[in-house]
Amino acid sequence: MTFLIISQILNGLGLGMLYALVGVGLTLILGVLNIPNFAHGVLYALGAYFAYTIAKITGSFYFAMFLSPLLVVLVGFILESQGVRRLYHAHHDYQLLFLFACALIIQEIIIIFWGPIGFSLLAPPSLSGAIDLGFLIYPKYRLVLICFAFFMIICLYLFLTKTNLGAILRAGIENRDMVKVLGINVNMVFLYTFGLGAYLAGLAGALSAPIMGLTPSMGLDILPICFVVVVVAGLGSIPGAIIAGILIGLSQGAATIWFPEATNVVIYVMMGLTIIFRPQGLFGVR
Amino acid sequence: MIQNKYSFIALIIFLFVGPFLFPNATITEMLIFGIVAISTNIMLGYTGMLSFGQALFFGTSAYISGLMLLGGFPLFLAIPVATLGSFIISLFVGYFCVKREGLYFICLTFAFNQMFYFIAYVWTEVTGGEDGLVGVERPTYIDSQLTFYIFTAIMFLLAVLALYKIVTSPLGLIFKLIRENASRAEAIGYNVRYYKLISFSIASTFTGLAGSLYVLIHSMVPIDQIHWLKSGDIIFMTLFGGVGSFLGPLIGVVGYIWLSDTFSIIWARWPLIMGVIFAIVVLYFRGGMSELLENLFKKYKAISRKTEHEQDIKNTKLN
Amino acid sequence: MNKILKIQNLTKNFGNVSAVSNISIEVEEGTIHSIIGPNGAGKSTFFNMISGVIPPSDGYVYYKDKDITGFESYKLPHMGIAKCFQITNVFPKLTVKENVWASIFSCSHKSKIDLFKSMNDFEAIDKETKKIVSDVGLSHKIDDKAEELSHGQQRMLEMAITLGAKPDLLLLDEPTQGLAPEATVEMTELIRQLSKKYTILLIEHKMHIVMEISKIITVLNFGEKIEEGSPNKIKNSKKVQDAYLGRK
Repeated sequence: MTFLIISQILNGLGLGMLYALVGVGLTLILGVLNIPNFAHGVLYALGAYFAYTIAKITGSFYFAMFLSPLLVVLVGFILESQGVRRLYHAHHDYQLLFLFACALIIQEIIIIFWGPIGFSLLAPPSLSGAIDLGFLIYPKYRLVLICFAFFMIICLYLFLTKTNLGAILRAGIENRDMVKVLGINVNMVFLYTFGLGAYLAGLAGALSAPIMGLTPSMGLDILPICFVVVVVAGLGSIPGAIIAGILIGLSQGAATIWFPEATNVVIYVMMGLTIIFRPQGLFGVR
Repeated sequence: MIQNKYSFIALIIFLFVGPFLFPNATITEMLIFGIVAISTNIMLGYTGMLSFGQALFFGTSAYISGLMLLGGFPLFLAIPVATLGSFIISLFVGYFCVKREGLYFICLTFAFNQMFYFIAYVWTEVTGGEDGLVGVERPTYIDSQLTFYIFTAIMFLLAVLALYKIVTSPLGLIFKLIRENASRAEAIGYNVRYYKLISFSIASTFTGLAGSLYVLIHSMVPIDQIHWLKSGDIIFMTLFGGVGSFLGPLIGVVGYIWLSDTFSIIWARWPLIMGVIFAIVVLYFRGGMSELLENLFKKYKAISRKTEHEQDIKNTKLN
Repeated sequence: MNKILKIQNLTKNFGNVSAVSNISIEVEEGTIHSIIGPNGAGKSTFFNMISGVIPPSDGYVYYKDKDITGFESYKLPHMGIAKCFQITNVFPKLTVKENVWASIFSCSHKSKIDLFKSMNDFEAIDKETKKIVSDVGLSHKIDDKAEELSHGQQRMLEMAITLGAKPDLLLLDEPTQGLAPEATVEMTELIRQLSKKYTILLIEHKMHIVMEISKIITVLNFGEKIEEGSPNKIKNSKKVQDAYLGRK
């Protein structure tokens, strides 16, 4: 039983890391551009599908993990510069609806190119198999995933706190008008933010592929979870998104042990508890 | 006012001509989603609140009415109970959502929608889970296509009249105040949160009414009727028609359902085309079809006036 | 005379900075009481605390001897307090008539059933709307949208919306802000007319207007009350001169 619990907690932690990555991406875009990115889910899915195809062509899993998120960034750039930017002067509801339309389009494109049936991307031999931790035998890839995602989150944190661009992004979340006043090219800031958000979504998607497999609906399934992460975190809080993502992953892991059929509902229970007891979110100020 | 008169005449004509233009299932679906879109517009167009969770009410109410019919209750009990059910849920969900504005409101409604979706998904014994709720039978007195259409049309008209009554009442004005300037509305003595909740509830209750009728079309409730994608469709229909006028959203519904019916026969990946249309509408025709028609009408008038004018000049020259 | 509004030790702290500290004033019924002070003196914060926009950190607001401290702003019009904004704050896409009508309806409808009646069922409100609109000189624009009015006309509409609440106490936040000189004169005259019917608490930046029409003036500086009294007293006060000239 203890083995089961520990392994499920580790599973939940891995899942939580993925949620944290997509959640932070969504939070960045939400905070700086002031729109909920409804295309975030399909960017996540694209990350996985790109990785699958690249791995198949080149035979290198690592190269796929490197290139696929960058391709997703490219897609993100196109969405921002060709659509979202044209709508800045309209009400922000329209940007949201544009992204929703893009989500429908990309969703269907995925089915056209990769077919409606799901498949799996196997981790390379160096990462497959299990590892003996002494008290527990645990799949190697999942362990590497946790460490790598953790590493990425640290990198992201350093980027946001130690670099100029990071400071501008944080300033943008705090006070968007300020960035305009400071004479910074707002279009560029928005473009980079959207790109960074897309990168995180794509990366999470690619990383998830070996454990969760690829299905065309994966983008539509992850999107509501991202929104729950944002609601639980408090709108616009990056540390909040990281912690909320991990918490939700852990609670799903725990639910798998005791109420396996409720794994999908438990995240909404978390959300319900948050809005009842702390309506502004765990780290929200407003 | 005069414009409204014409729109209502057009609506009555549509109700008579519609059954000859579209198959029975299509036209009844149009009327049912017509209720949804017109009531959603009370919230979206009049009050200025974008909810991404309207499928919650549509789906839940469809389940309630479907379950009651399966349980042997008469239709005239199932519809009010389902509608009342969505009213109560809308008060509950709305209470938490209207506390928050803008983006947070969108995120919350969206997340609530998915919460109910998963309840329906997991609770297989009751809802049928992924397969949907099947085997609901229409009562015999509306079993024929004609009687079913008449029944739907009457429900539709009643709902539209009730909603029209609301938008032309002081309540409708208060909704517009909130859309225009919520803090000023508060300063002249309106409890904005309270009226937002009313607006949310009205939209959701009528959406629920529509949901309770929907179960009768195909004698089943597919689970995707409560999925958040359906909420997106509902907003699209409303916007596609145009949020600027009372009956505008209905044009969007007719257009949307006709297009998706047509494309879904031609190509399995038809949502792609709908997505492209949606993107084009958002980028270039934000006023929706009703504004487009209005502009075309104005242009036509201007041109005809111009030609008349030229004709006059010609005539005077000839003379 | 009767004190309609009593404010006791009102304080607002933002973190360690106190924007308003320990201010007490009493407003006499039927007079114009003005609050003045240099930029950043805390006038707006003070005003927003009275009108329920921000909750005070400490202190009390009594209106007609009732504690209304921290009441939500939508409750105030129903008690007889109406406010007029510094920035023109109307309902742009609605007509002048609808703007004023909504304000009157807010405080005069009695039951929830009224909400669902037809707009044409309220003859008394229609009549009053016309009267108020003509009082502020906008009769010829009654069916125009607010956004189509000139700036000066919008200020007048703003005033009409405020009066629609039929208040006993009017809170005016810099009503002459951004007005042309002639329009300022017009507005000053309107305020003087209004003072015959209403008690007015006026927040104002322009010294000469305040001197001309107020009965009592309270001067704020750095969030504190530094002087209070008749216009004559204020004119000759050394403390006030120092504050305005920046001497300390």
